[in-house]
Amino acid sequence: MPAETDSLEPLLAQACAEIAAADSLPALALVRAAYLGRKGSVAALLRGLGALAEPERLRQGRLANQAKERIEQAVAERRAALEAQARDRVLGEQRLDPTLPGAAPPAGALHPITRVMRDMVGFFSSLGFGIEEGPEVDSEYNNFEALNIDADHPARDEQDTLYVEGGRLLRTHTSTVQIRAMTGRTPPFRFIAPGRVYRHDLSPRHSPMFHQIEGFLVDDRVNFGDLKGVLFAFARFLMGDAVRLRFRSNHFPFTEPSGEVDYGCLICDGKGCATCSLSGWIEWGGCGMIHPRVLERCRIDPRRWQGFAFGMSLDRTAMLRLGLPQMRHLFEGDLRVLEQL
Amino acid sequence: MRLSLDWLAELVDLPADAELIEGLSVGGFEDVSVTATGPDFSALRVGHVLERAAHPNADRLSVCRVDVGAGDPLEIVCGAPNVAAGQKVAVALVGTRLPDGRTLERAKLRGVVSNGMILSARELGLSDEHEGILVLDPAAPVGAPLSQALRAAGRVLELGITPNRGDAASLLGVAREVRAVFGGALRLPESAPPERGAPARGAIAVSIEAPDGCHHYVARVVRGVRNLASPDWLQRKLEASGLRSRGVVVDVTNLVLLELGQPLHAFDLRELRGGQVRVRRARSGEKLATLDGETRELDPRDLVIADEGRAIALAGVMGGRETEVNASTVDVLIESAHFAAVGVRRSARRHGIRSEASYRFERGVDPEGVRRAADRAARLLAELAAGEVAEGTVEARGEPAPPAPEILLELARANHLLGTRFTAAQATALLARVEVTAREAEPGSLRCRPPSHRGDLRIPEDLAEELARIHGVDKIATTLPVGTLAPVSLPPLWALADRARDALVAAGLFECLCFPFVPEGDGDRLGLAPEDPRRRTLRVVNPVKEEEGRLRASLLPSLLRLARQNLDRQVDPIRIFEVSRVFHPQEEPEPPAEPLWLAGLLTAPRQKRLWQTSTPPPVFFELKGIAERLLIQLGCMASLREGAVQPYLHPGAAAAILADEQVIGSIGELHPDVAARFEIDVPCALLELDLERALRAPRRAVRFREVSRFPQVRRDIAVYVAREQRAEELLAAIAKTAGPDLHSVELFDRYEGAGVPEGRLSLAFRLVFQRLDRTLTDAEVASAVERVVRMLSHRFGGNLR
Repeated sequence: MPAETDSLEPLLAQACAEIAAADSLPALALVRAAYLGRKGSVAALLRGLGALAEPERLRQGRLANQAKERIEQAVAERRAALEAQARDRVLGEQRLDPTLPGAAPPAGALHPITRVMRDMVGFFSSLGFGIEEGPEVDSEYNNFEALNIDADHPARDEQDTLYVEGGRLLRTHTSTVQIRAMTGRTPPFRFIAPGRVYRHDLSPRHSPMFHQIEGFLVDDRVNFGDLKGVLFAFARFLMGDAVRLRFRSNHFPFTEPSGEVDYGCLICDGKGCATCSLSGWIEWGGCGMIHPRVLERCRIDPRRWQGFAFGMSLDRTAMLRLGLPQMRHLFEGDLRVLEQL
Repeated sequence: MRLSLDWLAELVDLPADAELIEGLSVGGFEDVSVTATGPDFSALRVGHVLERAAHPNADRLSVCRVDVGAGDPLEIVCGAPNVAAGQKVAVALVGTRLPDGRTLERAKLRGVVSNGMILSARELGLSDEHEGILVLDPAAPVGAPLSQALRAAGRVLELGITPNRGDAASLLGVAREVRAVFGGALRLPESAPPERGAPARGAIAVSIEAPDGCHHYVARVVRGVRNLASPDWLQRKLEASGLRSRGVVVDVTNLVLLELGQPLHAFDLRELRGGQVRVRRARSGEKLATLDGETRELDPRDLVIADEGRAIALAGVMGGRETEVNASTVDVLIESAHFAAVGVRRSARRHGIRSEASYRFERGVDPEGVRRAADRAARLLAELAAGEVAEGTVEARGEPAPPAPEILLELARANHLLGTRFTAAQATALLARVEVTAREAEPGSLRCRPPSHRGDLRIPEDLAEELARIHGVDKIATTLPVGTLAPVSLPPLWALADRARDALVAAGLFECLCFPFVPEGDGDRLGLAPEDPRRRTLRVVNPVKEEEGRLRASLLPSLLRLARQNLDRQVDPIRIFEVSRVFHPQEEPEPPAEPLWLAGLLTAPRQKRLWQTSTPPPVFFELKGIAERLLIQLGCMASLREGAVQPYLHPGAAAAILADEQVIGSIGELHPDVAARFEIDVPCALLELDLERALRAPRRAVRFREVSRFPQVRRDIAVYVAREQRAEELLAAIAKTAGPDLHSVELFDRYEGAGVPEGRLSLAFRLVFQRLDRTLTDAEVASAVERVVRMLSHRFGGNLR
């Protein structure tokens, strides 16, 4: 009876439909029992096999077993689906309000000046510059005379020096460190000297305390072009590859030739705005070839050795990075400001 | 310095403003800008008074009908007596901004509406006269902007001059620079005066008695001047430079000063006694009433100009009042002299004077330009003041000014310094642009002589700078240095400070940087003992703020003030630190010590922070935890010892930080008295660490310790102990008693209150046992715990809970 063998397909279709319709684990168990249980349809089918002749019995038996496997598989898939639904339901009931504020550990931050200083120190370390430091209260000699600024030099008026009792002063530039570091050393050497400096100035654009980074390199072949190269690399490191620099002649008693470096205003892209006083350029720092008299005062033979030196403001770099309109924001310690930076 | 740009154009051809600014900036002037002078008149109009009628209700007012070129004529009420029909006048319409900044509104004056305003010269900011309205040229076009009808607003070139370039502090100097950069010809003003009068020699004798202070003195005599107001063009040139007009004689000396950079002085010849000019040192006790109205006691080091009996001017700095020219002056002596820079500078500083003259002498004046300036002034007085120039000059010379040196410029060295390849011909051409003559003495070397006005050029490097400057520093090729590679490392203290900052930031503190300037009395505020060295602070002689005239000897007052300010700003809680040097004066001649310190400050939150429930520990313990972690991260073998080592800490909530039995810092809650002085009204804890001592502290070595594969066994013990009992002792005793299998012990609970016997508290410890080689048996652990319990009971009276 070939018609009978084909009749398993409707049974299977019926079973799959019932399995799919089962909407809970107990309902699924009932469906399974109805087909695969001891009194189920498949069992009844298998029981009926005994009445069949050999080749047909074998064929029918194989078909019945295949049907059993397929139903078993359908039940397993449905069970997994129902279990997943149940777990989701439970997890859904455990849901917290993820929009409540996160419990972050208290946040602190390095001062912007410290961050800029670390970047700068890292850059110059990569070029083999060591770090030198000097006192903030120094002698007039180290701050002026040793740098070729004699007592009667008009440049002294322009430094707005803060003096302390005992005839000393708060250094007006980190160039004092140059003298201390060069004296007693034999070239070649290269150093940076980052640190605080002071001027008698409390205008909105200035601050009585600010930070400079001084750099100097002495050997027998370094030249002004090298100085420009180092400052260009430094500017690109700090401000990106698109930065433009302008070198201007200037005068410092301790360098000859001397130059001033400006960078193209990053706010207006050099078109002129309030930040750059409409000039398109922002003053970055001073530089030059170390004056032979300064080398002599450090007991270095200027006919054999030459060197460059530069001094840049850190504070302005920090302000620029953070969009700080005024330098005072750096030193007022207003946590509402520092928390943003 | 400010100069009229139009005047500069008389001397040299100028490029467009932008090019001029760029060229002069790159050439070494600072902050170069071009601005328009004078008030902006573009909003005002030329009006034509068609009719003038008396005001119906006021005698002194009139009502005018004024044509302003557009629309119907306007009715304007005017109070000036000189207004009349037919005049061309300056009119402000309703809604325009007046030169004084006000915006004009429609107003009713005594019942008549005024639809504008007719302005006076004073209201226009043109003069101090307030006699009446400004009457314009009758040819002025009606309705045109007033700026067209009045003289054109001048343009002013402003630039900063570096101290080495005294020669540039004049029109001539700037013109020379313009020519050096842009080329062109220099048009020098005529200076030869028409000499008509009797010889000057007959009127005056000049002697230099202090030859080191005055190199050259030239006197010219101009007779019969009429010292009236200067012509408009002269006044405008002075105004552009910020100088006020003071009558034609003084104006002429100022004009020549601006023009040539040579300071001049005009004496009233009739006031000079004995027909003598003597350049000498001041006598001790001698006095001089100077032009600024002060009477100055002179110093014997001051160089003065004197007549027969008295000082009449402080040489190179300022003239005297008694010989000042005035409206009735008829005969004038013009002084043009070259005084030594150092002497002028010292006198100016001694007397606190900064004049146009002293500014230039200090920075260097052309020693060869003395006579030319005297001639130029005499010529102008003849032209402008109807003066009769006496024949000849009267001159005297002191020690000669150092002559322009001959400088040997080795091209190879200059090129080596600059990174350039200038040939002798190129270098010669560049130097010629700044009037340095150069000739090739031997191959590769130039013998150079700078012009007399460039006293700043002395050594070959100066000329190398000129080469770079005129060639353009911007054009020097950019290279990177070549050299020996040497390893670099951070200085140890620097590295330690960086680690400390990182540790505190990780603990949630904000780094601050404070000015070192503090007020007096911080020692008292901190409650320091009388002999505490931190009471001695360095005094700033010229502080930025009078009330902050000391350099701090401790970081704490700065942090406490910062905390107060932030509490005022409603910041809560406050978690800050600073790493900075402090200043400790030493016995002279030792320089002050500048040890690097770290200070931190925490306040307890005023308000619950989050929606979460846990309460933070007391602020002392939070800070203690931070301090302990800090010390670990610094790699210091350091420990805390209970007790206040600082008077500003709460005696019951403080500890010293010890390394090698030395105090290197402290932590603690702020002493209530100190808190009151700094107005800190929240619980506040402080941390202080001397980083230099921390650097010298024994290092904590980091070493691997084997970890066990076998399970831990944990046992908790809770005991009642006396309230005064210190937890640290218990922990140490437990660790010692529990035997070698104890892995760790921690205090996990502390409780006093209900259920705990009077005077006692409950402490609960968690003991963790573990061996590296095998699993522990229950019996082993039980026996160890038993030992501990017995010990606690025996030594500390701790009975088990």
